[in-house]
Parts: sequence; C-alpha cells; structure tokens
Amino acid sequence: MELSEYVQRGFQRLADPGSFDSNAFALLLRAAFQSLLDARADEAALDHPGLKHIDPVVLKHCHAAAATYILEAGKHRVDRSTLSTYLEDCKFDQDRIEIFCTEYQNNKNSLEILLGSIGRSLPHITDVSWRLEYQIKTNQLHKMYQPGYLVTLNVENSDSQSYPEISFSCNMEQLQDLVGKLKDASKSLERATQL
Amino acid sequence: MLLDLSEEHKEHLAFLPRVDAAVVAEFGRIAVEFLRRGANPKIYEGAARKLNVSSDTIQHGVEGLTYLLTESSKLMISELDFQDSVFVLGFSEELNKLLLQLYLDNRKEIRRILNELAPCLPSYHSLEWRLDVQLASRSLRQQIKPTVTVKLNLDQNGDHSTHFLQTDPATLLHLVQQLEQALEEMKTNHCRRVVRSIK
Repeated sequence: MELSEYVQRGFQRLADPGSFDSNAFALLLRAAFQSLLDARADEAALDHPGLKHIDPVVLKHCHAAAATYILEAGKHRVDRSTLSTYLEDCKFDQDRIEIFCTEYQNNKNSLEILLGSIGRSLPHITDVSWRLEYQIKTNQLHKMYQPGYLVTLNVENSDSQSYPEISFSCNMEQLQDLVGKLKDASKSLERATQL
Repeated sequence: MLLDLSEEHKEHLAFLPRVDAAVVAEFGRIAVEFLRRGANPKIYEGAARKLNVSSDTIQHGVEGLTYLLTESSKLMISELDFQDSVFVLGFSEELNKLLLQLYLDNRKEIRRILNELAPCLPSYHSLEWRLDVQLASRSLRQQIKPTVTVKLNLDQNGDHSTHFLQTDPATLLHLVQQLEQALEEMKTNHCRRVVRSIK
C-alpha cells in the first residue's frame, strides 16, 4: 500500500496529541468515514464545535489524509494487525489505535460495498415483465389463433444511470428456449457454488 | 365465406382458361415467387413471347392469380368456399381443381409471408450465456462476485441485433421464475376457455 508524502504527513499529524486532542481525533475520524460513506454528508462534517479550535488548513489536510488511508485500506482489504502496525509506525498511541480499528471495523462492510460498486460493467438486468396475448387477426392475415408473448427486460446502466428497456416478442417455443437456457445457466451456477 | 371478386379482377383471371394446365401451374409458381421476392418483369416478357400475347396480359394474369391466392389465404377460407368463389368465373372443372390445389399447396407459405407484414417488435432469436466470477477491480481487491453474462440475439424485419447484458445470480433465479409463470399461464383454465371460444 503506497501513500503519498502528503497523506503520510497528514496522517502522522493526526497522531500528535498536540494538534488533535482525543475528542478532536475521534470527531475527525468519524467525519472522515461519514464523508466517504454517507451520501448525504457535506462540508458541514468538519464544522463540529469540537474542531473549531484547529486551523482549517490542518483540519482539511488531516481529513483528506485520513480519508485516503481509509480508502486504500478498504481497497486492499487490510486486516486488523496490518492496520495496527501501520498506525503504530505513524506513532499513534494505543487508545487511538483502538478507536481507529473499532471505527474501521464498524464501517468495513459499507466501505467494501462502496468500493465494489465503482467500475464499469455491461448493462445489468434488474427485472423482467411479460405479457401474454392471443393473436386473432391482422389486416393482412385473419384467423391467426395463436398465443404470443411480449417480454421486457429492465436494464440498468452502471455509469450513465440510465434505464433503457429491451423488449421483444416471442412465441411459445421461443420462450421455452429462452427459459431453458436461463435454467441451464442457473443450474451451472449452483454446481459452481458447490465446488 | 365467399370471396368477392371485382370485375377488373375477373377480367384479369379470364386469361387463365386460354392457356393449358401446365402454364397455369407455372403462373401459380410465379405468383408465390412474386409474394416472396417481388415482381420480375423479365419473366413476364419471356412468357408473353412464348404464348404470343402482350406482356401486360401476362402480368395481369399473374397478379390476378396472386390476389386470388392471398385473399383466400388471408381469410383462411374453406375448400368449399374457395370452390364456390371460383365457380362464378365460369372456368372448366379441370381448371377449378387446379386452382384449388394451388390454394391448398401454397396457403401455409402465403400466410407465413403475410404474417411478416404485421407491425412487430424485435423478436427473440437466441440466447447465449456465460458464467463469470469477478476477482478484483481497480477499486477493490480480493472479490468473489459471480455474474452471468448474456448475449441476446433479436431479429426485426430481417435485421439482427445483439445485446450484451449481465445479471447477478439472484436476479437470474427471479427471471427464470417469472418467465416460467408466463409459460404456465397458457395452461390455466381461463386461457383454455378463451382459446376454445375464439374460433
């Protein structure tokens, strides 16, 4: 895990009781997690009265450093011992290490979900709707008398946040073919999970 | 249900008794080809020369026959009704039989072609799938994220389109369940009753 000098300095500053007393440390830490994980968080996270006495430049530096470290740790899925070791190297005292690790543990799942959702993928199928009709006639053809299906796949695009739909018609045989293939896929999935 | 043939139509068909059975059969073949692929003026000209009539007469004859066959196929009229409709043209017994045979032989194909004229959405052609497991990404290492990648092939008016899509295992099971319900629906009492009563 490589961190830039800027980040390292900011993080080390956080360890210094002279710059951050225990209360301020805990507040800043929480603010860092919140600004990463809480979609509604805004600048006001750092506006807490408990942090008012600290120079805003220092505050921003350390906040950025903490947030960067948290993301890197999450990305590499570090375990508790790696975490403690690094914090010790940065000269954090045991209390602060304990607070950091606890806070990290509490937010680990959300962090991993967030990181896992970043990235490109193919359009993702989210749902399907269908319509069954009985075809009677068209202006070109009378006495059709056959069932027909109209299937719509609801799809989500990861990056553009758009929700296009894919619709197609099919007859009974075609739908059976489609369902058969999807069932094969799900059976194959089941087998793979049992390996 | 009898076919209603206009005077003009009857005029065009009046050409048919003037040629022998083999030619009528050939016209029948040209008529179905006309439906499949459109008119071919060269054929008309060739036939016109051989039979010593104008190209227009041939064209009208073929078009008249085509119309007769498509209208009958569209309405899916019974053999009896077809015979009665053709009877008014005053053709020979032999010609009537030939026309009936042409109708019955080509009805299925003609209906298939007519079906393509209806308004339609892309229709299902085929589906291929692949099982993948995502192990890592730039933003998160050590993942185990199963995904099903799907290639959906659709047809519309002769054009093929392909969609590459993806889904997760839970949604896949949901899709299977929903579509199986769709298939089951045709077997319910309600649907069977509807099918029985619309004839």
